[in-house]
Amino acid sequence: MSWFPTFTSWQAGLIAGALVIPALLVLYFLKLRRKEVAVGSTLLWRKAIQDLQVNAPFQKLRRNLLLLLQLILLLLLLLAYMRPVSNYTPPPGKTTVILIDCSASMAALDQEGKTRLEEAKRQAKELVDSMPSGGTAMVIAFHDKADPVQPFTADPLLLKQAIDRIKQTDRPSDIKLAYQLADAQVNFNPEQLRANVEPPDIRVYTDGRLLNPDDAAVKGNVTYQKIGSGQSGNIAVVALSAKRNFERPTQVQVFARLANYGTEPLAVPVQLSIDGEKIDISTARADEVFLYPERWTEKQRQDWEAKPGSRRADDSVDFKLDLTRAAVIRLEHLKTKDDVLAADNSANVVVPPPKELSLLLVTDGNYFLQRAVQSLAIKSPDVTQPADYEAKKPTNYDVIIFDNYKPKFLPEIGNYIWFGVVPDGTKTRLATDEGPTAPPGSGNAIVLDDVGVLDWKRDHPILENLGLGRLYTAKALKLNVPLDREVLLDGLKGPLIVLDRAPKATHLIVAFDVMQSNWPLKPSFPMFLHQAMQYLAVGQTMDVRQSLRPGEVVRIPRSKLQQADINLKSVTLTGPDGKKELPVTDAGEFVLPVMEKVGLYSTEPAIPGYEKLAVNILDPVESNVLPSDKIPAAVPTDTTDQGNAAGKRRLEWWWWLALVALGVLMIEWWVYTRRVHM
Amino acid sequence: MTVIPSTTPGRTPPPAPVDPDSGPLLDPTVMARLDQLDVMSRKMLAGKLKGERRSKRRGQSVEFADYRNYTIGDDLRFIDWNIYARLDRLFLKLFLEEEDLAMYIVLDVSKSSDYGKPNKFRYMQRVAAALGYIGLVNHNRVVLCGVSDGLVADTGAMRGRRKVSQLVSFIEKLQPMGPSHMAEACRRFALQHRSKGVCVVLSDFFVKEGFESGLRYVAGGKYDLFAVQCLAPQELEPDLQGDLKLRDMEDDDLAEVSITQPLIKQYKANLNAYCLSLKEYVTRRGGTYLFTSTAVPFDTLVLNYLRERGLLG
Repeated sequence: MSWFPTFTSWQAGLIAGALVIPALLVLYFLKLRRKEVAVGSTLLWRKAIQDLQVNAPFQKLRRNLLLLLQLILLLLLLLAYMRPVSNYTPPPGKTTVILIDCSASMAALDQEGKTRLEEAKRQAKELVDSMPSGGTAMVIAFHDKADPVQPFTADPLLLKQAIDRIKQTDRPSDIKLAYQLADAQVNFNPEQLRANVEPPDIRVYTDGRLLNPDDAAVKGNVTYQKIGSGQSGNIAVVALSAKRNFERPTQVQVFARLANYGTEPLAVPVQLSIDGEKIDISTARADEVFLYPERWTEKQRQDWEAKPGSRRADDSVDFKLDLTRAAVIRLEHLKTKDDVLAADNSANVVVPPPKELSLLLVTDGNYFLQRAVQSLAIKSPDVTQPADYEAKKPTNYDVIIFDNYKPKFLPEIGNYIWFGVVPDGTKTRLATDEGPTAPPGSGNAIVLDDVGVLDWKRDHPILENLGLGRLYTAKALKLNVPLDREVLLDGLKGPLIVLDRAPKATHLIVAFDVMQSNWPLKPSFPMFLHQAMQYLAVGQTMDVRQSLRPGEVVRIPRSKLQQADINLKSVTLTGPDGKKELPVTDAGEFVLPVMEKVGLYSTEPAIPGYEKLAVNILDPVESNVLPSDKIPAAVPTDTTDQGNAAGKRRLEWWWWLALVALGVLMIEWWVYTRRVHM
Repeated sequence: MTVIPSTTPGRTPPPAPVDPDSGPLLDPTVMARLDQLDVMSRKMLAGKLKGERRSKRRGQSVEFADYRNYTIGDDLRFIDWNIYARLDRLFLKLFLEEEDLAMYIVLDVSKSSDYGKPNKFRYMQRVAAALGYIGLVNHNRVVLCGVSDGLVADTGAMRGRRKVSQLVSFIEKLQPMGPSHMAEACRRFALQHRSKGVCVVLSDFFVKEGFESGLRYVAGGKYDLFAVQCLAPQELEPDLQGDLKLRDMEDDDLAEVSITQPLIKQYKANLNAYCLSLKEYVTRRGGTYLFTSTAVPFDTLVLNYLRERGLLG
């Protein structure tokens, strides 16, 4: 009950009351000096007393006017001592700007079954009803943008219709633009051009969950109408990411973080689904999280953890999935009871399909290597001679394999596999007879004979599941490998396979010619090539697409549209708020309309890279349903009144109570003197 | 309960005579008016001596009662010779006996009766004197007893006008004393006075042990009971205020009360119920109950109300 005052020192008042009131009653009992009166018989009097005492144990004090007055006096003084304070909403002035927040957090259902936006609208309409005669007002709806729903008018009907038109969005909330718009509109208001005019009333209907509220400023008397209950609970997914494992591109790692904006610690089960199909995660490391309330202080957390047997917080989950195709991963929590905000209960992330790889083999002719490349099931593996390579200087291949050939031209960015040759410009060098300190290219390369395998990194993705113990090569180059480079395969006489990662290129150097070895005849050879391709090419481009925030604008390059259909005339966007047919213009970028609601959107026909778009809140500010007490404005000092933290005026009751107590004292004095004279 | 209109709550009682608690018990004016009355009884009560009342007994009077067959030894003067002439058989004429009437006046002299203005005891003394006077002048056998915690005083049987001064003197000497033990007092009264007669009990009937245990000795049976309950106006409309300690005049019992409107209301309701229960008890046993306030002049009570209720005629 907002009208009920809060008592700033109620504990002291209660203690004083517990001492003083019984003392007064005891004094009254002690004070009673009864006059003795003789009666014929007390027979009927005793019976009458007994009859009354059945229902009234304090019959002796009944109808004692003086005591009653003294008790009232005492209670009034005690109440005044407790310093009751209440906040009240001042009536609107002559010029009022009504700002209504319609961001995601205003959809919280904590207003007796209504959303906060509905409550804000109701209060705003009440304000319109209480406008003074001749007063004007305007309505601005805001989220991360501001929309002037109704310019200044004195017509209450227009104002109410404008308030009714405001729709709920899932967008974040930033009041800065709204204040700027309000300032601009006020400056255009002719009423404000008069001299000595009062600054406008700015009424902000919001729960105070705003981005950068301290940066916002407005000229006017800001009144913050706090909407929402501090006892509301909300569990939200505040972070979700999924990415392919850099070293295992077919493996997708999903990471999510949840937050509890309620009042009690909770265990929250979570559910994962792929393309709408729920998957069993009960065997995962954790299929539920345990969340402390975000509003807890550090001391509360420590107190909780100090309790014996208390469960520790665990606010994040991560899963690993094998996913070789495009998919939409959805994570949701199942604790929907007492959860006032539904939009943040789940989040989606789109995992794109594996990329089509392109591969170039530069060789003078190597039967085994060519067969192995063809077995990779790559759409277009190209094989070329070194001369052709030098002539064409290709740059658009994901991986280039050089077989016993050191090219003159090498793209700056790329992935390369070298057989029997060591590239220039890498930290891994060819060992020469001039010694390790000799400049590159000087001296003769040291060639090792009859090299067997000492060991290899069995858990590295490139060599995973390969049996290389029987690999043998007749000749191999001796390599100088610095410590920060990774030796994958160690021969008996030196490193045989080295992974050298430069900032813009990755080199996989095989120190021998496969034709000089028995490797092509072993199954591990094509497997090696397959896994090397996965590692070098696929891993870099398999990151998931970032999810979008509500209200974010998506621009699609024209080239992507042409990839979908060269003669594309329209695109259908399907999402949580229905289907929209969007005509495609002949020139310029194609911009999708603003997606206000969270959920999954899809394009038809599917535009490459934009087949599916996930819109999530993933915003701790919006998901935090605890209304802020702080007024969302840094008001310039030249304004007259700022209002308090709750956006209301503060009213001290104690001196009113003292005044009433004085009146009661006068009545008591009158009754007392009248009794004396009687 | 018969409530005399002048004492109805809310009405101003009629102006009392100048100090009703002083002056003689009977003045000549009242005595002259009382001379015209006689004590009546609804029962045919047997007396001890020849008197002026018809008795159930057969005897000598002018009132014919019945015939019976003549038996040897009967007084020949009562043979109906006319019937003998017609029927040739001897029948004896029987006449109703005329006897005196015993009148018992039981006066409550407990301390509780010495209360109120006009004083209850004085009021009851005057009523008792008036009734005794009526009884004596009509040659009835009058007995007056004072009762409190026992039978404290008894005049014995008196008859004739010349006993009036003795009766009045006896009443004047009675003083309120002791608590009410009506059961014991009435028991002793009934033992001492076995003759049938009219019994008038004058009391406030505030008996803590209960009025039933005493009244049962004088209600029904040989007595034609008239229970006259006298209460003071202060008992009907308590004018108490504030926080009081009420002291019972009989046993010094103390009751602490804070006078409030609900308490007064409850007291009145209890008083009403108490009087009603007394009336029911007396009526159920064939007696007559009469309630009066001492604000009512005693001659009005005697000359009007007691006549209306059949005690006097």
